[in-house]
Amino acid sequence: MTIRFEKMIPLPMLEQDTSGSEVWEADSLLLEQGKSYVVEAPSGRGKTSLLSVVYGLRTDYRGVVFINDRDLTSLSMKEWSAIRKSNLSFIFQGLELFDELTALENIRLKNELTAYHSSDRILKMARMLGIEPFLKRKAGILSFGQQQRVAIIRALCQPFDFLLADECFSHMDRKNSLIAYQLIRQECDARQAGLILTSLNKADLPNTHARLKL
Amino acid sequence: MRLIYRILWKDHSRAHLLGAFLGTLAGFVLLLAGIQFYMDIKSVLTENRDLLDPEYIVINKKVNIGQTLGIDMAGFTEEEMEEIEAQPFADQVAAFISNEFPVRAYTENERFPDFITELFFEAIPDEFIDVKSEDWQWDLEEGIIPVIIPQDYLNLYNFGFAPSQGLPQIPKGVVSMINFKLRLQGQGRGNFEDYQGRIVGFSNRVNSILVPLDFLEWANKKYGYFKKNDPSQVILVSKDPTDPSIIRFIEEKGYDTIREKLKSSRMNIILKFVISFLVIVAAIIIGLAFLVFLLSLQLMISRSSDKIRRLSKLGFHYREISRPYILLLLLLMAGITGLSLLLTSLLAGQLHQTAETWSLSISSSLHGIIYGTALGLILLISVANVAAILISTKKLCK
Repeated sequence: MTIRFEKMIPLPMLEQDTSGSEVWEADSLLLEQGKSYVVEAPSGRGKTSLLSVVYGLRTDYRGVVFINDRDLTSLSMKEWSAIRKSNLSFIFQGLELFDELTALENIRLKNELTAYHSSDRILKMARMLGIEPFLKRKAGILSFGQQQRVAIIRALCQPFDFLLADECFSHMDRKNSLIAYQLIRQECDARQAGLILTSLNKADLPNTHARLKL
Repeated sequence: MRLIYRILWKDHSRAHLLGAFLGTLAGFVLLLAGIQFYMDIKSVLTENRDLLDPEYIVINKKVNIGQTLGIDMAGFTEEEMEEIEAQPFADQVAAFISNEFPVRAYTENERFPDFITELFFEAIPDEFIDVKSEDWQWDLEEGIIPVIIPQDYLNLYNFGFAPSQGLPQIPKGVVSMINFKLRLQGQGRGNFEDYQGRIVGFSNRVNSILVPLDFLEWANKKYGYFKKNDPSQVILVSKDPTDPSIIRFIEEKGYDTIREKLKSSRMNIILKFVISFLVIVAAIIIGLAFLVFLLSLQLMISRSSDKIRRLSKLGFHYREISRPYILLLLLLMAGITGLSLLLTSLLAGQLHQTAETWSLSISSSLHGIIYGTALGLILLISVANVAAILISTKKLCK
């Protein structure tokens, strides 16, 4: 899968100074599967907007975005569901967890849709990220950092060509962030998938292919 | 249970759904019991009659003082005949024709006292007559005129006149052996002929002295000289004598008939009124309950709108999201169908027992139409609700 931007810019960004941006100022930008991109920018520069456009949540932009040479605006609801089920996965900045479900149920909810991972694999990932003891707790009472890790595992419970991760380590310490990043890369590699990871500050993550400045 | 069901079912309002469930159930039971009751009564009304045996109804005009004074005519005009024929309940219509010449009957028999009387004849097509007899044939060569008299006449004689006058009672078989002469009188003196008369049967249906139609037509041509009158009686055949429009028509036109025969028609009017009242009430209840259903489910969906959007973001298609609502709806609908059929059949059983003590036989099981109605309505409500669910979940997923 490739993602291609043609002079794409979200409408709210038009009112801002975007000089020097490698995304908003580019005539054409091609993101390729199998590569990992880190998008670094302070708040308000449109990191979430960028991912939301790719994921089809926002349509208020100028220019054109292509996924595999298909204009995103031409995709039907059904196609979007299919894409979100098997081509794109999103770790939302706002997490989008169901507070009334336990951490494990939040993960299983997605896995019931895709039947991608075994329960063992899910437990293994939870153990890796250090949230295994909290799996039976309601997501709503977990700390934000713990919730982030639940959201990461949930996003990994499906096939994808690109993983969109929106500031997914913002509430984790350096050590935990690196473990989570490792898991993410591991899963991406297993799928030969691309990664678009946004970060507020210098992420300083190993093995990234490109850094895009917004 | 899949988690998506748990998430979306959480936002239901038990009171709303229970209210809608009970309301719809009540409406259904009322409607189904009403139909069941209607079918039962209808079958009681028609049970003693073969479906192939239609009712013969004789209609005449009411006699009023105008007719007595000779100003008004008691006959049916051609337009009135056509109007009767045009009625949907009248499958066959025939006017009575009568003799247009004087008729006299007399006996010459040593066993019975001599007897002479002025007489009249009427004739209708054979298919309207309830007496089937081989002797019911007019043959000029034989010169025997077959006559059918009302059963009531014989009863009147046997049980009224004969005992009071010390005369012997006569059984039916003997009556047909009585020889009597019929004198048909044409215009002018001496212009008459005598024929042998013979009673070949007794009618329960027609209150008149009947002779074969072909005979009367022939005789009217030969002897008739009276002014031709409009027929005073009309006989009609109705396949469905319970049809309430028969009695309505007769009353509206001011005609007269033997009321007894139209009892079922009158009963039917009352029954239809009661049942339609019941059906209207049931329809209103079902309509309201349907609205409550629709609104409860829509409320449930809008309470979950955040969750639905979230699920859509996670890659759930709106069809998958609407499935828990549809399943809930179908479960409730299945419950309503099952319970309403159960309650209606319990009611039917109860009615059956009560009716048995009045020695009326009505079915204790549900009529086929009950199942049809229940399923049809459930289907209708379900389809409308499913459509509404799909529309509103789709809207949220956009």
